[in-house]
This record gives sequence, C-alpha cells and structure tokens, in this order.
Amino acid sequence: MSRYLAIFRTFARACLVRDMTFRANFLLECLTSLGWMSMNLAFYLLVFTFTPEIGAGSGWTKAPFFAFVGTGLIVNSIVQALFMPSAEELTEMVRTGGLDAVLVQPLDAQFLVSMHRVDFSSFANGLVGVGLVAWAVPRLEHAPGPIAWLVYPLTILCGVAILYGLVIMLAAATILMGRNQSLYDFWFYLTNFSRYPAEIYAGPWGGPLRAVCTFVIPILLVVNVPARVLARPLAGEAWWAVATALLAACASLAVSRAVFQAALARYRSASS
Amino acid sequence: MDNSASRSQSQSAPVIEVEGLAKEYRVHDKPEGLAASVRSLFHRTSRVVEALRGVDLRVGRGEFVALLGPNGAGKTTFLKLLSGIITPSRGTAHVLGHVPWVRENEFRRRFALVMGQRNQLWWDLPAAESFRLHREIYRIEPSRFTRVRDELVDLLGVRPLVLQPVRELSLGERMKLELVAALLHEPEVLFLDEPTIGLDVVAQHTIHAFLRHVQAERRVTVMLTTHYMKDVAALCERVVVITHGDILYDGSLADIVDRFTTHKIVTLDLDEVPSPARVARYGFPCEVRGPRVVLRVDRGRIAEVLPDILRDEGVRDVSVEDVPLEEIVAELFRSTRPRPAGAPAGASP
Amino acid sequence: MSGRSVPLEPDRHVAPPRVLEGLRVWCTMLAICLEERLVYRGDFLLGTAMRFLPIVTQIFLWTAVFSATRRGDIAGYTRDDVVAYYLLTMLARAFSSMPGLATGIARSIRDGSIKKFLVQPVDYVGFLLAARVAHKLVYYAVAAVPFAAVFLVCRHYFPPLPDAATVLAFLASLVLSFLLGFFMEATLGMLGFWVLEVSSIVFGYMLVQYLLSGHMFPIDMLAGVPTGIPGVSVAELVQWLPFGYTAYFPAAVWLGKIEGPHLARALLVQVAWVVAMGIACRIAWQRGTRRYGAFGG
Repeated sequence: MSRYLAIFRTFARACLVRDMTFRANFLLECLTSLGWMSMNLAFYLLVFTFTPEIGAGSGWTKAPFFAFVGTGLIVNSIVQALFMPSAEELTEMVRTGGLDAVLVQPLDAQFLVSMHRVDFSSFANGLVGVGLVAWAVPRLEHAPGPIAWLVYPLTILCGVAILYGLVIMLAAATILMGRNQSLYDFWFYLTNFSRYPAEIYAGPWGGPLRAVCTFVIPILLVVNVPARVLARPLAGEAWWAVATALLAACASLAVSRAVFQAALARYRSASS
Repeated sequence: MDNSASRSQSQSAPVIEVEGLAKEYRVHDKPEGLAASVRSLFHRTSRVVEALRGVDLRVGRGEFVALLGPNGAGKTTFLKLLSGIITPSRGTAHVLGHVPWVRENEFRRRFALVMGQRNQLWWDLPAAESFRLHREIYRIEPSRFTRVRDELVDLLGVRPLVLQPVRELSLGERMKLELVAALLHEPEVLFLDEPTIGLDVVAQHTIHAFLRHVQAERRVTVMLTTHYMKDVAALCERVVVITHGDILYDGSLADIVDRFTTHKIVTLDLDEVPSPARVARYGFPCEVRGPRVVLRVDRGRIAEVLPDILRDEGVRDVSVEDVPLEEIVAELFRSTRPRPAGAPAGASP
Repeated sequence: MSGRSVPLEPDRHVAPPRVLEGLRVWCTMLAICLEERLVYRGDFLLGTAMRFLPIVTQIFLWTAVFSATRRGDIAGYTRDDVVAYYLLTMLARAFSSMPGLATGIARSIRDGSIKKFLVQPVDYVGFLLAARVAHKLVYYAVAAVPFAAVFLVCRHYFPPLPDAATVLAFLASLVLSFLLGFFMEATLGMLGFWVLEVSSIVFGYMLVQYLLSGHMFPIDMLAGVPTGIPGVSVAELVQWLPFGYTAYFPAAVWLGKIEGPHLARALLVQVAWVVAMGIACRIAWQRGTRRYGAFGG
C-alpha cells in the first residue's frame, strides 16, 4: 500500500534530519565503516600479490574478484542501512514495552519493527562498492551485455530479500527469547560465509558446506549470483542460478514472515 | 466483521465482554550464588505464575471503569489481553465485537492504549511529527485530523510543546502529548495503564479533568488501571478491584465502604483529658492525644453510642466519618490470599 | 617511652596484611565473573563455539589461494602453516584482547565514577589489572573445552611439537602479550583525562591493530611491501612496533618462524614495550588525575 511508503518516508526523513543535525557523528560513522572496509581491501590486494586467482580455474582473478567484493558491499550496505538499525533496536523495544505500542497500532508489526530506522552512514560502503564495480567492469574479460545489466539489479534485490528474511528470523528469535547478544554475533558469523566466491568451498568438507549454504540457508546466493551475472557470460547455467536466487528470495520472505507472526502470537510482553 | 455491523451491535451489547479470561506464565527461577549458577547450566527449575485467573467482566458503552489493585495483581495483564498485546491461556474476550488478540486492523483503529511511564510517541521526532505519522497510520481524514488535534492540544494546553523533540520534555508533558496522540483517531474505547504514575499533583489534576471531559463529550468507554485512590475518586463511579489475578469486587465506589467496613471513625474533642477506661466504653480507641480522642465504633451501635457520649462527656466537637477509602482498599489488598492454583473462583470475602 | 611508635610487645590483634585482603577481594571478583558468565548460559556455549566459524572460511580461502599459486609456500608459510597460524593467533588474542577496557576507563572518567579511586587508597591500574586477570581466567576456564576440541581436530595442520625452549618462549610471549594489550588499552583509556571523544582514538588503534597485529595475515607476508625507507619492508618495521606482539609473535614462535638470536631479540623487544607501556600508563594516570582534580571533576 502507498500508505506504507508514505510512512516509511516519514521515518527516513526523521533519521536523515537527525543525522544531519549530528553531522560530526554521522561523518565519524561513515569513516568507521570505510576504515574497516579499506583494511579488508588492503588484505585482498596483498593476497593478489601472491596468487593470480582465488581458486585454481575458478575464474576469480583480480577484476572479477573486486566486482564480487563491490557487489557484496552494495548488498550489505542496503541491508545495514535499511533493516539492521531497526532490528538491533528490537531488544530494547521488547525490554521497554515499545513492542506493545507497535502491536496496538493498525499497521503491520513486521514493517514497523524492521523499517522504522534508517542508518544513512551505512550507504558509504555501498558507494565504495559501486566504485569498485565501476573499476572492475572495464577490466573484465567478458563485458556484461545489456541483459546482464538489467538482471544485475534484480539479483541484488534477491540478495537483499534473502538477507532481510534472515534479519526477520533473528527478530523473531529476539521476541521469543528476549535479550540475546549472540544472536547478532550469529548474523556476523553467518554472513561471513558469503564474503568470498562460493568456489572456495571445495573438497570433501567444502562441497556439502556449499550445498547447505546455497539451498538450506541460501547466503551463498546473496552475493555470488549478482556478481556472476556481471563477471561471467550470462548463458545456460547462469540462468539457473538467477532462477534459484529468485526462488530463494521468495522462500526467505515467506518463511520469515510465518516465523515472525508465530513469534508475535507467543509474545509475552514481559516488561512492566 | 464489517464496521457498521459491529458498530450497531455495540449500541446494545456490552462494549467489553470478558468470560473466564486467564493468563499463566512459566517463569524460570533465577539462580542465586555460584553453586546455583553452575547447577542452572544443567537443570533449570521453573514455576507457573497465574497472572489472571478466570476473570469475568462486562462494560457498557460510555462507562468509565477503574481497575484497582496492588502491584502484580494482574491489572496490566488484563489490559494487555484486552488490547491484544498478549494471548490468553484460557477464556474469551470481545472488545467492540472483536477478539483482541487476533489484532485485526479494523479493531486496532477503534481503540487506543496509553501506558504510564512508557511512551509510544517516537522519541526522536517532535510531537507534531508523531501526530502526523499517527494520522497516516490510522488513516484519519486530514481536515478532521486538524480539528481534533487542535481541540485536544488546546484542552491540555500543550501547544508550545508540540514542536520540541519528545525526549526533551518532562514526564508530565510527555503524558499529555501521549493522550493527545491516543485520541487523535477518536477511538471508541480508551485503555489507560497507570497514566498518572510519577506525575506531580498539578499534572494529575489536569489529566483527570481532561479525561472526564473527553469521556463525557465523546461517550468513550474508558478503562483505567491504577493503584492511586485519587485517580479513582476523581474519575469514576465503577470500581473493579483485582488482587492476585481475581476480581474481588465490581461495583460502585460508594458501596465499597458499605461492603467492606464494619465501623465508623468518631473523633471527639473533649473538655478534659479522659481516662482510657472511660473512653473504651464507647468503642475502640485508635488514638488519644490529650483531649482529642479517635474511636472506632461499630456501625450498628453508632445510634446508641453517640447520644451516650454527648450526654455523659463534655464534648466540644464531634465528627463521624467513614473509614478512609485508602485504608479500606489497602486492607482488602492485604487480607486476601491467593487462591491455590486450579481452585475455582469463589464468592468474594 | 616518648617518640617510640613501635609497641614493646607484639600486638596480638594484627589486622590482616593488605596482600591477604587484596587476595580475598580478588577471589570475590573471580566468583562474580564466573557467575556473570554462567547467567548467559545459552549465550556462552553457542558464542564460544561460533568464534571459530570465521576460521573455517579462512581455511577455505587460503586453500583456494594456494591452489592457484605455483609455489609451495607464501612468505615461508604452507597452507597448513597458515591454518595453524590462525588458530594460534586466536589463542594469542584470547590473552591480549581487552574488550571494553579503554572505553570503560574513558566512560568512568566522563561520568565521574573514577573519583572514588582518587579518594580511596586503591591503585586504580592495579585494580583494573586484577579485574582483567579474573575475567580472563574465567574465560579460559569456560573456553578451554571448545578450544581444546578445535585444536585436537585440527592437529594435522600443525608442525611437530617444538622443543622445550620454544614452548617456554611461547608461554612467556603469551603472558607478555596479555600485559602489553592491557597497558596499551589502559593508556588509551587514560587519554580520556585530556580528550572527550576517546572512542575515535580507540577506533584508530583498532584499525592499526587489525592490520599490523597479524590478526588478518602473518606479518611475514608484508616482507615484499616497501616502506618509505629504502631497504626496510613493512614486515621489518612492524617487528619494532608493539602491535605485532599481541597476535603475530606468539603464533610465529610456536611455528618456529622466529628462532635463535632473532627470537631472543624479539622477546626483549616485547618486554621493552611492556615496560614502556606500563610506564606510559602510570604517567598518564598521575598526570591525568592531577589535571582531573584541578578541574574539580
């Protein structure tokens, strides 16, 4: 409904106003995320002085790999900016009774819980990601065609949807279990698997791990599919990957919503 | 359930209808000390807390009901059940024809909940923005919204506060703004959970007046939980006393005195300091300070005792009063013991 | 008689010596730490196990990296060496990482709760150190099993056990890394006496640590990276800086990457940094409290 869009705009505007009021803090937060990210970039550059490719025959040479990293930054920055801030506040909301206030309003609770706060400083990483992609694409062996450029944003959205589903499931767990710091560590550890191309998961242990992370908890689809759309010719097998990503996105959204509603039905409202 | 049907139903049927509503929680025992902490790693004990035990209630349109009870009595749990925040363990409830915990948007648009000391306004936004958000969420028609908002803001005198961020305001100011926000969508039912807690006397007074006005004007059905007698005395006739998850009493405030007290307080200013034995003839002396005596006299005997006192003692001044409401209610809270789990509800003592 | 402060007879009711008191307080601290840990029962079991997950990704990554190189080792590390290295740095960081130390000190300066340490005859730095030791001991007790399990499972990545001297050097380096990490962060926290926003400085420190402590990769790999100074690579520069001694150094010692005279010298450098940072911490405390008192808190 367009009502939700209008409401979201109000939330976003309020957050933007606040960020601009505390400008120094905002800049510091941008610098913080840029700082960590540049350390990692330095690490990748170092690794590439020792090897031409990540994974023999995988095709992830320097340019495709940085397209991968850039894509990862784009997807993660969208999730970090739009959904994580609200989800992180959920523990506090449950503790202070803010969730009660949400449940009483004629608005979808999942929407309010996951989108009432926007962290604009997280977009800084996304911009760097765009820059990396812009650097990498002209250096690719196969330049992506127009169809690839259309499919790329779509697959990025799929990646965002898959991660969003995970965020909602974490939120549901928070509602059921109250405060639980390791849940957010869990987020970091889970997404850590998707930092590198799926090809690194090879061998007797790697194969099954890759399968689990593709079909059970599809985090490997989040960055790999869009990156591949850019870095590899879009034909044959690639379309299967896109289809899988679409399917995973829909499944992630549907399953997470069901879990979230179930959690709300068992909400204890332990505050007071 | 479509809007018009439920509205016409509410004209004749009770607005709030509760039957056998009960809520139990399983609570884990917190370990005390190191040994217990280690043990808790392997085996956690828990017990069942009965927050509400099979409660019945009927509230008609336009009524103003106070839910009175000590902390932990189950008042807030009751309110949370009626607003749909939690689901019950047993029993049924209907508010405006809807089952609250189904959380239909239809239903949520027709009532409002205000919780004392817990704000529902968005912290970072100035109240005006919160109101605007409210308008979008509740789908209030713009011209109507402006009219209602201005009316409420002026009634509570909060116009200068509306543009400041909510977190900069005092508790009293925030509560007033919360009330404005709650009534913007002109709800038919208003739930208030300890709205005056922590507020100074002036703020309490203002809010009482406001609630009375609003309720009378708009025929809103109001249910308010509190443990302040002041709130009850100022606001309403009907009192529901809850202790240990049971409704102990449901009726008018005036009747509580008749129902739960057996004596009256007689205060005497005598000519001279009396001897204790003499004074004890008339009743139970609570306080003897010089020539001033406060007696508890059995209600049935007042008619005989009073003439005796006036005739036999040198009395300068006499007053006969009911036991203060606070004391009656406090005694009520103290004297009841929780029913053993699973026992059926009996008649109130 | 006059002027003599020493009693002629031994005083039977001697108050317990300060050391015993301190020990008792410390034991209580230990018990509290343990209790706190156990409260989050679900948390810590899961949390401790999950800490090893990133290593899994790193193992796969380095395997992939090695598969495409034509050499057997990178900067003297084979693939197995790299895995062993990461596990060892995890162990080293269990000693040297001081979560919340700097920010905690800064916070107590800011909100005034540090005042009670100015007034009481308690050595603040000593108190913090004792508290950290308690925290760490509890952490080790709790994490020992998962750590042991992981090391056992991964033992084939490790070279054969080093000789006794190397093991001793390793243990020494671990203890020293604890002290080094402590004094560095404590000194940073003390900057709160002069600077309002210590968190930015701490962040900068964390970044440099991340890069130069060996947390991300063995410092030897920086041997090819030039500094401005001719003939000196970054790797060589780092061995004179304190950062590498919190994670890289103990791991490198165990793996035999630093031996003989180099090892002795490196240990001396580590000791020197511990002493230097200890002194810096002490000076910061003295100057800082003087300044704090002057401003009336």
